[in-house]
Amino acid sequence: MQSIDDMKRADRRDPETGDKWEVQLRKGCLELAILAALWDGKLYGLEILRRLESDSDLIVSEGTIYPLLSRLKALGLVRSEWVESDAGHPRKYYALTPTGSDRAREMATIWLRFSSSMSKLLAPLRRAK
Amino acid sequence: MISATDDPQQLIEAYLVKLRTRLRGMNDEDVREIVQELRAHITDKANASEEVTAAAVDSALGALGSPEELAGQYLTDALLSRAEISQSPIRILEGLFRWATLSIAGFFVMLGSIVGYFLGIVFMLCALLKPFHSQTTGLWISRNSNNDLSFFIRLGFGGVPANKQEVLGWWIVPIGLLVGCGLVMLTTRFALWCARRYRRSRALPQG
Repeated sequence: MQSIDDMKRADRRDPETGDKWEVQLRKGCLELAILAALWDGKLYGLEILRRLESDSDLIVSEGTIYPLLSRLKALGLVRSEWVESDAGHPRKYYALTPTGSDRAREMATIWLRFSSSMSKLLAPLRRAK
Repeated sequence: MISATDDPQQLIEAYLVKLRTRLRGMNDEDVREIVQELRAHITDKANASEEVTAAAVDSALGALGSPEELAGQYLTDALLSRAEISQSPIRILEGLFRWATLSIAGFFVMLGSIVGYFLGIVFMLCALLKPFHSQTTGLWISRNSNNDLSFFIRLGFGGVPANKQEVLGWWIVPIGLLVGCGLVMLTTRFALWCARRYRRSRALPQG
């Protein structure tokens, strides 16, 4: 049986399976990550990027976050407003709409249920060897 | 990024002008907001290093990606969110056309979709015109001297063709409608699937 570290090494050797899978996994939770970052209050684009980087090590390419935010806005999950800043230019802040909060809560429930059942399944792999 | 000027402000404006040109066709108000938001982003990023220098602006612009790439993402997103409201082929083609001006991927998706919609509409027209040109509309086959089969969809304009044979008769009405609608639906799904894939492939830094 392989330990997690062995598997990590194997993954790195084989970008076709390991890295690709990880990238897909991260992409899959990007929408939830953005909604979660806005849970405590409104943030502007750069703050969302920094929040994702520091709290989830999800490194999103900068050119992606803005089109994605405008898509979440078109879907009615977030709303935006312009706020004057000390920097001398207004910044566009995003906040969750009630629909967005519901969606975030619903996604978080699914995520937590799934990850706790996966953890149960994966527990023997941690004790490997 | 190679730049002809060292004035940070000019660098930012040159980038935004390119982006604005490529977003043409989107709602003016949306374009204005996008440009204003990105100007704030670039300035904030470049400001992080005390003074706004050309190098700091260059690196902020580099992190955002090329204006074409960025506009491509906005346009495919606009296409996808519009498609959730209306899936009319005209709207889809309109969105695809804008995407096609920005990327080769978009161009091929547009080409494929035009073929798909065209065939779908021909089949539907054939079904609809059958009652008016009952003798000439339909699916026709012909054999040449080598005995090779060729198929023709005829809308019924002109006379009864020589050396050809109509095969479906009145069945062309239900079959044409079914195949035509099916093709239009499949083409829409294909176009949206491609747009979604394109968006996903750009969601995170590659690697």
